[in-house]
Amino acid sequence: MGDSIVIKCRGLVKGRAEGEALVANAELSFWGEVDPISGTIIASGHPLEGESLRGKVLVIRSTKGSSATPLVMGLAQREGNAPVAFVNVNIDALAVLGCVVNEIPMVSELERDPFELIETGDRVCVDADNGTITVSKIG
Amino acid sequence: MELTDEQRLIMDGGKGPFLAKCMRWLVEWGEAMGARRLVPVANTHALVTVPGNLVYGAGQKTIDSAMELLRPACQHRVCCHSTTHITFAHEEQYDEIEMPEEQVNAQLEIMDMARDAGFLMTYTCAPYLVGNVPVKGEVCAWTESSAVVYANSILGARTTRHGTESAIAAALVGFVPEFGVLLDENRRATLQVDVTADLQTPTDWGALGYFTGKIAGLEVPVFEGAGQPSQEDAKQLCAALATGGGVTMCHIAGVTPEAATLEQALGGNPPKRRVTFGDSELRDAYSQLRDYEDDVIDTVILGCPHASLQEIAEIALYLKGKRLAEGVKLWVCTAYATRSNADRLGYGKIIRDAGGYVFCDTCPTNSMRVKAHRIVTAGFKQAHYARNMIGAEVVVDNVKACLDAALTGRWSRGR
Repeated sequence: MGDSIVIKCRGLVKGRAEGEALVANAELSFWGEVDPISGTIIASGHPLEGESLRGKVLVIRSTKGSSATPLVMGLAQREGNAPVAFVNVNIDALAVLGCVVNEIPMVSELERDPFELIETGDRVCVDADNGTITVSKIG
Repeated sequence: MELTDEQRLIMDGGKGPFLAKCMRWLVEWGEAMGARRLVPVANTHALVTVPGNLVYGAGQKTIDSAMELLRPACQHRVCCHSTTHITFAHEEQYDEIEMPEEQVNAQLEIMDMARDAGFLMTYTCAPYLVGNVPVKGEVCAWTESSAVVYANSILGARTTRHGTESAIAAALVGFVPEFGVLLDENRRATLQVDVTADLQTPTDWGALGYFTGKIAGLEVPVFEGAGQPSQEDAKQLCAALATGGGVTMCHIAGVTPEAATLEQALGGNPPKRRVTFGDSELRDAYSQLRDYEDDVIDTVILGCPHASLQEIAEIALYLKGKRLAEGVKLWVCTAYATRSNADRLGYGKIIRDAGGYVFCDTCPTNSMRVKAHRIVTAGFKQAHYARNMIGAEVVVDNVKACLDAALTGRWSRGR
């Protein structure tokens, strides 16, 4: 109840943001698997199928695939439907670029396994400037 | 990152606020990716279009967002050979699809601006088929994952996977951050794929790419025993490798310019992993993108990536004097330059007379409100994305089987 965990990490794209965690130990392609206007994950069979990215701290292994990743992130952000921060275990250059141009903080190289410590619905504060994420358990 | 005086000047606004922003994007991106410096770029390929996907519906916000980037960008001149990726809308109208007028108008404005900035508006996902053929070692900044894999693996050019923002920034400031496959040590293969299956068609090469892309993660694969690919085989291999995966380059032993032998591809090291692509893997790759066994079909899509003149000629000669089945749409997607050539030579007319379309600048998953229930396509990439993005049942098969399906209105396994 109200416990918070601090995990050290490497800030890849600067900034600080807070939101509800959306967690999957999986990859996600912003091209073809995310509807950029609504920010909804449309990939059939994906563990996050049907979830909205709006306002979320997206905790996944990495994004994958397309060079359209930054563009889709930008479209979703313009509609207010993009994640507020990225916590990715593996570094996909296109997601990094998307975060740079859309000014979304991103961290990686976490000292502890985020999939053991963070669950969907947890409150997460990402501080890429200081290289920490703070997880507050809800309930 | 250490910057030269010239790079520092641009970053500090010495060449205007937009180029300063471009430089900041490249530097911040490079620093996150571990680059130590920016290096000169000789060749770029970027989206210069309204990035609205009509499958989702592009609105005014999307048009505004594209113009915010492109209007200031086109106030400058490109520093190098810079071609353009597909559009999402063009001025031609078809009964089957609506091109929204406001998006078409925005596209026409962009074409005017971009010409004066020096962008060559090839509007294709396969720039290497229409004159942008970088030489070995040429540093590029390309968007389009399939073209990136082709440039690195078949041509021996060097490009990481770019987004449109970084490719346009690179075109205007003339530099890219040096990381990934720009560096020798990251171009060596670590995953050896022993190919024992008999690859008979370009789509079979696509199956090899699709299989490998799914298991490679971010590794560089080398193919041993695959045989000599044609240009079309290589195109299908590269496109499928990049589909739903992170592959940036591969080696085909004996074909890739820097892989005269398997040993050279591996950099003298043993492979970290070794897998076999045999007949069962070939069958399994196809079965992953076959949603039905034997059924009526309504849509056939060829030209993913964009068709070469040779492919269009083969399609036309197969269809000559024949007629597509009632209600079946055939979209042959290509670059404007290739279609012009095909029209001049009469191949375009043959395809249209048979009831098909030669569709340029774009493709169904990018730009159409296509209503399709059952699609047959020769591209693993098209099949993979069409399933989610068009919401249709898909089947991947070779070009001849696709054309037979278009002529009979039916596809069945093992015909």
